[in-house]
Amino acid sequence: MNSVSAVDVSRPALHRRTLSRSLRGSLKGGEYTWALAFVVPYLVVFVTFVAYPVVYGLWMGSDASLYRELFADPIYQSTVVNTILYLALGVNVKMFLALLLSGFFMRPGRWMKALLLIFVLPWAVPQISTFISIHWMLNGEWGFLNNVLYKFFHIEGPSWLNDRWMALGAVIVSHIWKWTPFWTLILLAGRMAIPLEIRDTARVDGATGLKGFVHITFPLLANLYLICTLLSTIFLLGDFNAVNFVSGGGPANSTHVLATLGIRDAFEIAHPRLGVAAVMSALPLVIPLVIVLMRKLRTTEVQL
Amino acid sequence: MSTIAADARLSSRALARAQSAVRLRHYLSKTGTVVLSLAIIVWSIAPIYNMVLISLEPEGDVFTDHIWPRVPSVESFWGVLTQGHWYLEHFWRQFANSLYIGAMVTFFALLIGSLTSFAIGRMRIRHGWLVSNAALLTYVIPASFLAIPFYRIMQNYGLSNNPWSVIAALVAFATPYAIFVFQEYGRSIPIEVDESARIDGASPPQIYLRIYLPLMAPALVAVGTYALLLAWNEYLYQFLLLSSKSSMTVPVALAQFLSSDQSPWNYMMATAIIYAMPPVAIYYAFRRRMAAGLTMGGVKG
Amino acid sequence: MGHLTRRSVLRGSLVLGAASVLPVPRVARAAPTTASVWFAQGFVQDEDVALRKAVADYEKASSNKIELSIIPFAPERQKIISALTSGVVPDVLDSNPNEILQIYAWQDRWVDVGDVVESQKGQFSETAIESSTAYNNVTKKRAIYGVPLRAAVVPCHIWRPLVEKAGFKIEDIPKTWNAYFDFFKKVQDGLRKQGERKVYGMGFQVTANGVDPYNLFIAFLVAYGGQGIVTKDGKLHLDDPKVKEAAIKAAAYLGGAYRDGYVPPSAINWNDADDNNAFHAKLMVMDVDGTLSTEVAMKEKHPEWYFKDMVTHGVPGYPTDNSGKPVPAVVGVTQGLIPKGAKNVTVAKEFLKYFIQPKVLSEFVELGLGRWLPVMPAAAKSPFWQDPKDPHLKGYVQMGLLGPTLPDYYVYNLAMAEVRTQHVWSMAMIDVAKDGAKPEVAVDKAFKRIEEIFAKYKAA
Repeated sequence: MNSVSAVDVSRPALHRRTLSRSLRGSLKGGEYTWALAFVVPYLVVFVTFVAYPVVYGLWMGSDASLYRELFADPIYQSTVVNTILYLALGVNVKMFLALLLSGFFMRPGRWMKALLLIFVLPWAVPQISTFISIHWMLNGEWGFLNNVLYKFFHIEGPSWLNDRWMALGAVIVSHIWKWTPFWTLILLAGRMAIPLEIRDTARVDGATGLKGFVHITFPLLANLYLICTLLSTIFLLGDFNAVNFVSGGGPANSTHVLATLGIRDAFEIAHPRLGVAAVMSALPLVIPLVIVLMRKLRTTEVQL
Repeated sequence: MSTIAADARLSSRALARAQSAVRLRHYLSKTGTVVLSLAIIVWSIAPIYNMVLISLEPEGDVFTDHIWPRVPSVESFWGVLTQGHWYLEHFWRQFANSLYIGAMVTFFALLIGSLTSFAIGRMRIRHGWLVSNAALLTYVIPASFLAIPFYRIMQNYGLSNNPWSVIAALVAFATPYAIFVFQEYGRSIPIEVDESARIDGASPPQIYLRIYLPLMAPALVAVGTYALLLAWNEYLYQFLLLSSKSSMTVPVALAQFLSSDQSPWNYMMATAIIYAMPPVAIYYAFRRRMAAGLTMGGVKG
Repeated sequence: MGHLTRRSVLRGSLVLGAASVLPVPRVARAAPTTASVWFAQGFVQDEDVALRKAVADYEKASSNKIELSIIPFAPERQKIISALTSGVVPDVLDSNPNEILQIYAWQDRWVDVGDVVESQKGQFSETAIESSTAYNNVTKKRAIYGVPLRAAVVPCHIWRPLVEKAGFKIEDIPKTWNAYFDFFKKVQDGLRKQGERKVYGMGFQVTANGVDPYNLFIAFLVAYGGQGIVTKDGKLHLDDPKVKEAAIKAAAYLGGAYRDGYVPPSAINWNDADDNNAFHAKLMVMDVDGTLSTEVAMKEKHPEWYFKDMVTHGVPGYPTDNSGKPVPAVVGVTQGLIPKGAKNVTVAKEFLKYFIQPKVLSEFVELGLGRWLPVMPAAAKSPFWQDPKDPHLKGYVQMGLLGPTLPDYYVYNLAMAEVRTQHVWSMAMIDVAKDGAKPEVAVDKAFKRIEEIFAKYKAA
């Protein structure tokens, strides 16, 4: 191989089609080595801390008898239902709210900026603190929510976490509470990336308000919205903290989702492989999502 | 402009009607804005208010039905800061652990993410798209699913009860997102900048350090904040991988309170509030740069 | 810019790569005379102090070092499971939860410690010895895998002031099972009449979290005559009509109490600490909970509660069955375990031998304020336990050590441990409590599930 020398771009590109050339692409010599060097750290991280655990996890969950045991567990079916509901409502309500609110926060003014700061607090404050707080707020006997209801409206609030659907609702609402600010910021940034001319032209042509949104803004945001929805779905599928701290999986193990069920099986039943099987059973849902996401991200760049 | 022409075409009566309609819309929109703003404030603050409320109540009062502290007392905060309770013996050590992990995760996510996206996006290494797609595969199996295999593997690497196991996990999960954002953001920086530096004889590390990083500053801030918040927010891995009181982080110590039967809940909430301060402070310090980082081409559809 | 060779660049990138993976892990290479010990953190600080003292005394007496890790009890459970799964284990750990002795003995994961227990032969109670044995499905034999350290039973805890507020006296409490618990329903009614909206008669742990619901149900099962559900030979006897009747009565009573409003509604979400917290907050008049943690937790901050207001019904006080016969108490024994693959089995055994010397073990239990019971009947006669000024200890030790006791059922058949972790009894109670199911139906469902679980552990 040629010795490394300083790169000289002005030299005309005489490509002899050697294998090494085609691998390097347009990089020559020392540059290629640098590029490799820059990529190696991530590759090492990926192989050691992602690929290996994934493969190991797949191996741990590869025993068919585990799945038979899993499906025989009476909690499993309700867990799957919970997970689907959690995903469907959690992701869509949250993204819809984020879309609406991103429009709201486009308004100018110092008040809007201050409001945005307050709005982002739920995301900035660590979820262990806030979810535990929500858990206590919802306590039937001395929780803050019921105290407020009683003091201001003289309503005896129910025991929010005592009923499966209310507890699940509480978990979903907690998740929305925590994450809507984040996605709002992203969609807001997306809106602001729409060039000013397009927005102005739209206004001039009378396409304001709802019409403007439907015909101009949303089509431009659509791709971003879809990517965010997919990403959010994948994150939510693995969400452990909301269920764990807000409802604890209760009452009576009826609000578990696959992520928390996996941990329970692994550590309370002392059956780690069963726990891995529980979360692996979501793979048929996750893999198509990720494939779509990857495709979307590659064909991204709806240039304005 | 066409609006002026439009105005000219309207009769004066229609003009008056249009004006009052506009005024009504403005009024409604203003009220609507106020109502929505209030709703947002109450909604966002409520659980946080509850935290503050409990932390300010003296110990016996936590289970009562107050909606504001009758006898506010900061003894719980004082207790946390002075490590004055048995469960809080190691609070400062644990807080330092959290800071350490947060800082390291941020640093390495930024470093590795920027190096990688530089190589892929700027130097255009061949088959670079393979790397960014592989990165995305990290999210195929969500983090909490990998927790159990990860624990086992960390044992094999000899990293059990070591903060670096947590750092490694979080860096592995934060870097793909970093690469994604850097790629997107980097699209708005013309490649000619790099080319001209190259012509001037700059080596890749020099381009990286002198040109790429400074131009990427807003994105770096955005991703850095994200990585820090990720580490600060994280619970499961810290819980599984760190088990001694001196290596634990604050979230793990907090969760311990939950399974104790003589927990001073007010202390616990005070701990939670103190723990919440760094990320909130950092977010508010960097918020403008963050917005810039996300805006400029960072998330173009 | 110097002359870059490929080699230097590659070296640089390797360094970068390695740096990204991070550092030289602290190699825990134990010196030959160091043993690592894991133990669960106590619920009061005194327990940890007692443990540290015992360890320090051992280090002085021998020339060995002990690396003691006191880990909060919930994370310790996860740690133990992870350690046993990965094979990287400490030298000694405590049985947290107790049934891991039987569960992992089945898989041949413990070192046989018969010789350690032998060194104090005759000192231990029969129940303690029984609890330290387990069946090993690899060697196909039963052996002693645990060293009994301390024990616990499930007495009743009562607030005297609340009873008196309703117009009754502690002495009024009936002596037989159903009447005993019905009494607290009357107390609640009395308190309600006085406008106390937020107090409940009984703190039954009608929940699917933690170990309390299992302990509660088993206490009722035994009291109603269902003692023979699993016999010493490990056989399950669900077809025994006495067992079935007892289970139905237990589900009916416990679930019924919740359904009829005598148990705090939030109980359904309780974990093992929530009921203690609720009790301290005087949310209920009485609760059935393992150990003296409810009382001991308050000894320092509220001595008047400890010495006057809280009443423990060990023996006497704990109700007899409905025909007047005493109910044997089910005892959980914390054991010291040595996992296979431990680096220093010799020191581990030596440490355990030291620890179970009657003097050391009693001191450990007594310094821990008596939250846990000793496992040696002789220790129960000490002035600490027999102190007439202490209202709780004497009754507790009488119930859990000197009176009739039974080991928990997972000692006979480890499948019962999974029945516990799967919260099968909890579901039976909750079905009756929340869904209004008939107790017979709820118990049938539970029995079916129990049979499925037991089927998994047929000794091959």
